Amino acid sequence: MLKYTLKRLLYSAIILLFVMFLIYSLMYNMPGGFIEQKAYELASKPNATKSATEWLTELKAQYGMDKGVVPGYFTWLKSAVVGDWGDSWAWTLPVTEQFSNTVWYSFILSFISFVFEILIAIPLGIAAAKKQYSFTDYFTTVVSMICISMPTFFIATVLKYVFSVKLGWFDLTGMQGRDYAELSQFGQFLDVAKHFVLPSITIVIISIGGLMRYTRTNMLEVLNADYIRTARAKGVPEKKVINQHAFRNTLIPLVTTLGGSLPGLFSGALITETLFAIRGIGYASYTSMTQADVPFTMFYLAFISILTLLGNLISDLLYAAVDPRVRLG
Amino acid sequence: MAKYSLNEVLKQREAQKSPETVNPDEVKLDDVTRVKVLSPTRQVMKRFLRNRLAIVGSLILISMFVFCFIGPIFYAYGQKDTFHKYNSQNVNYALAKVNVNYNGYVVDDSVEFDISETNAMNTRVKSMIEDGLDNLLVVGDKGACLIEKLNDTTYTLNRADVKEICTIGGSSVKIGTYDLLTKELVYENGVEEISGLKAALSKEIGKSAKSGEVEFGGVTYTYEKDKGKSFNITSYDEGINYAGAPMDEAFETALTSAAATGESFTFDGKEYVLASEKEGVYDVYQFNGSKVGMVYSILTFDAFETGKNISDEFRASALMAAAGDGSFTVDGTDYTIQAEGDLLTVRLADGTEFGEFGPMSIRRYSGADSMDYQLKKDIATAIANMNASGEKSAELVADLPQQDADGQYVYDEEKNLLYSESDLRITQRNTGEYVINCDQVIYVIDTYAAPSWKHLLGTDGDGMDVLARIMYGGRVSLMVGFVVVIIETILGVIMGGISGYFGGWVDTVIMRLVDIFYCLPSMPIMIIIGAMMDAVRMDPYKRLMILMAALGVMGWASVARLVRGQILSLREQEFMVATEATGVKVRARIFRHLVPNVMPQLIVTATMGLGGVILIESTLSFLGLGVKHPMATWGTMINSVSSASAMAHYAHIWIPVGLLICLTVIAFNFVGDGLRDAYDPRAKR
Repeated sequence: MLKYTLKRLLYSAIILLFVMFLIYSLMYNMPGGFIEQKAYELASKPNATKSATEWLTELKAQYGMDKGVVPGYFTWLKSAVVGDWGDSWAWTLPVTEQFSNTVWYSFILSFISFVFEILIAIPLGIAAAKKQYSFTDYFTTVVSMICISMPTFFIATVLKYVFSVKLGWFDLTGMQGRDYAELSQFGQFLDVAKHFVLPSITIVIISIGGLMRYTRTNMLEVLNADYIRTARAKGVPEKKVINQHAFRNTLIPLVTTLGGSLPGLFSGALITETLFAIRGIGYASYTSMTQADVPFTMFYLAFISILTLLGNLISDLLYAAVDPRVRLG
Repeated sequence: MAKYSLNEVLKQREAQKSPETVNPDEVKLDDVTRVKVLSPTRQVMKRFLRNRLAIVGSLILISMFVFCFIGPIFYAYGQKDTFHKYNSQNVNYALAKVNVNYNGYVVDDSVEFDISETNAMNTRVKSMIEDGLDNLLVVGDKGACLIEKLNDTTYTLNRADVKEICTIGGSSVKIGTYDLLTKELVYENGVEEISGLKAALSKEIGKSAKSGEVEFGGVTYTYEKDKGKSFNITSYDEGINYAGAPMDEAFETALTSAAATGESFTFDGKEYVLASEKEGVYDVYQFNGSKVGMVYSILTFDAFETGKNISDEFRASALMAAAGDGSFTVDGTDYTIQAEGDLLTVRLADGTEFGEFGPMSIRRYSGADSMDYQLKKDIATAIANMNASGEKSAELVADLPQQDADGQYVYDEEKNLLYSESDLRITQRNTGEYVINCDQVIYVIDTYAAPSWKHLLGTDGDGMDVLARIMYGGRVSLMVGFVVVIIETILGVIMGGISGYFGGWVDTVIMRLVDIFYCLPSMPIMIIIGAMMDAVRMDPYKRLMILMAALGVMGWASVARLVRGQILSLREQEFMVATEATGVKVRARIFRHLVPNVMPQLIVTATMGLGGVILIESTLSFLGLGVKHPMATWGTMINSVSSASAMAHYAHIWIPVGLLICLTVIAFNFVGDGLRDAYDPRAKR
């Protein structure tokens, strides 16, 4: 197991190396990026002594973007490996500081949504599987299909339209009300919590469908298994069949996928955060990406790539841990 | 190799049998009526058609395709048609005001004036009226100008030729500076030394005072601290100070008597002008004549002929003539001008009226002089009545040029404007101006029109029909979906096929590549690519191509993995051994024998993938990083009304679009699900 884990980690590191190289070369060649804009800005200032092209070469040298893709990538890699991620250009903060400023909002948002997702999707999926081809089943299938098929921005817009514009219950965007500064500490907490309601609902809706279908499919498979028929045949009460024999076995794939999605809680919901102006890591990275802020984008993409690889590894390991029949090798 | 079909064989066998041997009551095991074998394709069809959700999905998709690809052919509007509407709008039609400013017209352009002189005319004329002066000489560093009054409303600006003679009245003359430390008196240039003054000063200065007076020789000297220990010494002179050579006694007598009243006087055949500098002090100039350069009048000229262009030369000549003999010639035409009440009427030589100067200026709101004379008169009368009754507003019915629905003026056969009665409303502003309002037809872009029979879903912010945009947007969205999925599938099948068939190091390399692409975060990368294309302002069509290519390249990894997995298991089966044994070429073995067996899974993933691609494309377009205006896609359409106010008011635009996206993606998913169930009912989902 340890050997397998180490091997996988090594593989992941190599994959990461290439992934980051692809991303770096993309960012490196980004036209009209941050440096170019800065150069034009400096050249158009009164008393500017240098032309935009001169500024460009100078700025590129200053930001370390004049070395060419491959040497530039290895310079970045060298400092990144020892934990020096540089300063964000768009946020004018050390990358790690901007990261720690934002990541917890994203985590809280994702975590709340994750909990609700589990609480809603798994019982519904099981209920659907229990009575296949019943109304509940069709209803659940259709609802989960709708949830999967809705674009995030449309859900967000509908929610905003109904709850912010028509009913006026929540603010349209942002994380704080206008009288935030005057509230007590608990009041501030409640205020932020209120602003997290619509984003959480959005995330729950888009992620609930997949889990619901997954639960239903696995439950159906388990219910068709021989040991369930055996249990029923020997007269185990139906309740016990479902809740103990079937559900426990359904848990195997569920735990694996859910465990695998745990690292993803830190990656932020890029579109939801942007639409609701939640100052999480997704929003920060969206701003950085559109402004060609190389250090922060590189950091964020490295971060989510690591999370993806980690998620895969965790789900594989969990699979082996939960299901003794599975051997890793 | 002959194809073997059980149905065909059974049919043949039945045909071979003689009809008399068939006993309808006797059913044999291999009877056609009993054994009916469906081909695999028809079996799949049958299973697919049994799935209700899949049927619903297919129906939705078919109608969506009809709507997007055939709909535009029959729909009246295109995706780039902009619609306009005619709006009756209350506009500011005209502005009337009583003139308060004097406008200048050039009489003789050889006489030049400094801009500061012409700019100061209004103020100077008004101060002349206030002081009751008939002429005013202003001497500045740009030369001297003389303002002369012609009549109550007209003044001329003249360039005067003057020579400064002297000043009369009390004036201070600087004697010199006295230094307290050195006890020295330094005289100014040209001041004669006054003996004993230094001693008198030294007694007085030095007491703590910063300024004071010293009496010496009948003259009062004033001292004032300048800087440090130095003092300025001035004497006060009440007499005449000549600028040049002194004049004789007789001149001084005449001057002194004139200075008492401040009027000009004539001496020795020459005119002298006194320009007041301050109370009781005059600068005296010898006046050697002047030349008229400009004429200023508070009156505005209105020609009787509508919209006639009147030159400034005409106005200048007319105003000058009004003060003179009353007749003038401009451009070879003779005119006469005559005062009638507070108006100056201009007539042609034959006595027909040409126009008049009046105290009120009535112009279109834009400033153009294109109104009828009669209308101006009516408005002036209405304003006079308003003022008489002390009201702030008045109503008036007048004939205004008629406008058609396009907002253009209407002409009859002889190219004359047609007129229609309009209601005018005159309102006095706080500034004293009068605004004349009326309703006019305006031709505007019909933005954000509510749904109507003409535009079933209204129009968007550019005045384009929403339904038409939805159809064309759907075309793009669906097309993007198909192209991307085809790219994905082709790439995936090639890579997966090669990898699965050959195994070994080829497999390892390709699978590591797959791992890398699996790990690449696709949404951020698409955002970065979108931002890149934004930066170079890429052409929308080229942009669409790149977008599709990028999405395709990002998505092939999962297809490759699927194909490889299938091929790994298929390759061990007997039929593959058979192909090897019969010597089928490698390429044919992969693509003719292996890949068709993966087809079912490929079709299922491709169908499901279509929905996903449409989602990603619309999300990118929504973020403004995908397809760009003027091309419509569903995401862009929602993005255009995503601001809070637009969202609240124009739900008729974004809700149908959003629902269409959902419906399409749902339909693709339903069909994909149905296909999978139909291909392999026992497969794990």
